[in-house]
Amino acid sequence: MNETPVLQVEELSGGYSLGRPVLHDIQFEVQPGEMVGLIGLNGAGKSTTMKHILGLMTPHRGGVVIQGRTRSEEPEAYQSSLAFVPESPLLYEELTVREHLEFAARAYNVEQKDYEERSKRLLKLFHMEEKADSLSMHLSKGMKQKVMIMCAFVARPPLYIIDEPFLGLDPLGIRSLLDFMLEMKESGSSILLSSHILSTIENYCDRFIVLHKGRVIAQGTLNEIGEQAGTPGAALEDMFYDLVKGGE
Amino acid sequence: MELRTLRSRRKSSFWGQIIPYLPYVFQSGVAVVLLILCIVFSAWYTSFLQALPPDLPIRWIMLLLLGPLTVYSGFRTYVQPADVIFLLPQESKMKQYLSPAYFSGVIYKLLGLYLVTIVAWPMYIRTGEATVPLWAMLLVLLLLKVLSAYGAWQELRIATSRARNGYRLLRWCFILLMLAAWIWLPDWWKSLLFMLLLSANYILALRFPMKHAVPWDSLIANEKAGAARTMMILGWFVEIPAEGQKVVRRRWLSMAGNRIPWKQGTSYRYLLTKTFVRSELLGIITRLGLLGMLVLYWTGDSWLGAAVYVFFLFMIGTQLSTLRYVHRDSPAASYYPIMQGVRIKEVIRLITRMLLILAVILWLPLLEASAAGSESALLFSIGGLAAGLLLVLVLRSNWNRKWSELEEDE
Repeated sequence: MNETPVLQVEELSGGYSLGRPVLHDIQFEVQPGEMVGLIGLNGAGKSTTMKHILGLMTPHRGGVVIQGRTRSEEPEAYQSSLAFVPESPLLYEELTVREHLEFAARAYNVEQKDYEERSKRLLKLFHMEEKADSLSMHLSKGMKQKVMIMCAFVARPPLYIIDEPFLGLDPLGIRSLLDFMLEMKESGSSILLSSHILSTIENYCDRFIVLHKGRVIAQGTLNEIGEQAGTPGAALEDMFYDLVKGGE
Repeated sequence: MELRTLRSRRKSSFWGQIIPYLPYVFQSGVAVVLLILCIVFSAWYTSFLQALPPDLPIRWIMLLLLGPLTVYSGFRTYVQPADVIFLLPQESKMKQYLSPAYFSGVIYKLLGLYLVTIVAWPMYIRTGEATVPLWAMLLVLLLLKVLSAYGAWQELRIATSRARNGYRLLRWCFILLMLAAWIWLPDWWKSLLFMLLLSANYILALRFPMKHAVPWDSLIANEKAGAARTMMILGWFVEIPAEGQKVVRRRWLSMAGNRIPWKQGTSYRYLLTKTFVRSELLGIITRLGLLGMLVLYWTGDSWLGAAVYVFFLFMIGTQLSTLRYVHRDSPAASYYPIMQGVRIKEVIRLITRMLLILAVILWLPLLEASAAGSESALLFSIGGLAAGLLLVLVLRSNWNRKWSELEEDE
């Protein structure tokens, strides 16, 4: 893939206090139509990396570029280029499921006709048709997570940042999500996905970035990760175990 | 830790966050305006008492003044979501924790009720309709207040929301009926007997619905709404976030906002409109508007009518200004692409429109009074409207300046 990357994270160092960075020289790219898995132990820096990409944190050094734009130069275009699904659903209690979708579509400047088609399809795909007019405060955690996912997919930006999307989802929801992510990928969208369920994402992601203690310790395709871990042909879970144990 | 001590610590911690703001409340312009209004009200009330209209519907006035205050019951339990995990094992001992909440709920609200009763009492006495002494009135109000608080507490325990709403309606009906009987019936013993029979029936009716031993979910939701209400009141005076307020479904208003033009620039307007129609704020504004119309109905044909009109518009404007804090720290601010400067613009737009609509609605009693009255009434009516519209413009320009400066600082 020789196209311009959708996402470029360039020598990113950052964290919550200047003296104690959590991330150290993080460098990776996500190409158009690529699904990349960001994996690491708890506290490895996955969510902090995502927060930097979203612009919720300011890098100490380095930066993030989305479709050739930085957040400081073009904040609105930058923000419109990505959709985020957080680990814990963040919804407006006073909005119904349908209204969340409409708000997201309006915010991302989706045509009304496209919104109607997309929302209908997403509600069906995630088995949320019956709950479409329920206030989000009355939904279960899994359903809230589905609403977050649907809001991201109704927008259709070039880049999706998805943090632990499978938490709380039922098996049907997980399958629907994975299938839809593949469809988005095939249509040219890029996905940066973090998850601990390595056996699931192993078959879906094109490449993986292994974060450990705030540093990238390996990145590449499954085969390349296997070579870097010294366990070619093994399952991702085994490679990951070897990599992080080696770093201890 | 003892459960009673835990509640008391939580209470201190909550009010510990509020107290530092109080000096700012006293310094704020709104507090001064309220003080001036108190003085103006005292002057007007004194002159009103000296020349009471002969056909004053005093019984209705007493019922309207005392009824809602007698029925209204709320409790601050300071319960937290994590209590479902950590206090649930001690559920059988929760009485220790919750009984202070019940008593404080009654005592503080009773103080407000007594204040209004004592202020209204001279008016009641002077009309010659009072059939009982003040102490008897205060005693009956105490009993009704305790009964209403008991009912409200049982409602919290009721398992289904439909039954809970039904019993809330029942409580309003029972308590208002008893208070009306006390005010209207000439023989106090007959009123008392009627009230006793009604109370017995009400208490009996409360035994029927299915209830939780400790209604954890209701208590947590109630506490969240109670804390948010306190913060919202504080927000009238000082800059604080107004989050966590109760959401009211209002299905009949679910169409609101759907016709907003489909453009990226209006996405925040859509969110704000939906939030407003399901907020407690809309209920507060409606109640304030109705109260204003009622007061204006009586005072509409004098200079006082025009003053009351401007006062109510100012109060409504102050309440609406809390919309500024809605969604300030919410996901919309960071996750959705909302254009810069749009949020303040949309908040001011919504508040101004609401204020203009209410300026017209509140003016209707003044118009009605001027249509039936003298030339001076017409003058007060038109003058009042002009002053009201001017106030809306002044408030709008003030918010524009102040909030834009604050947004630049943030």
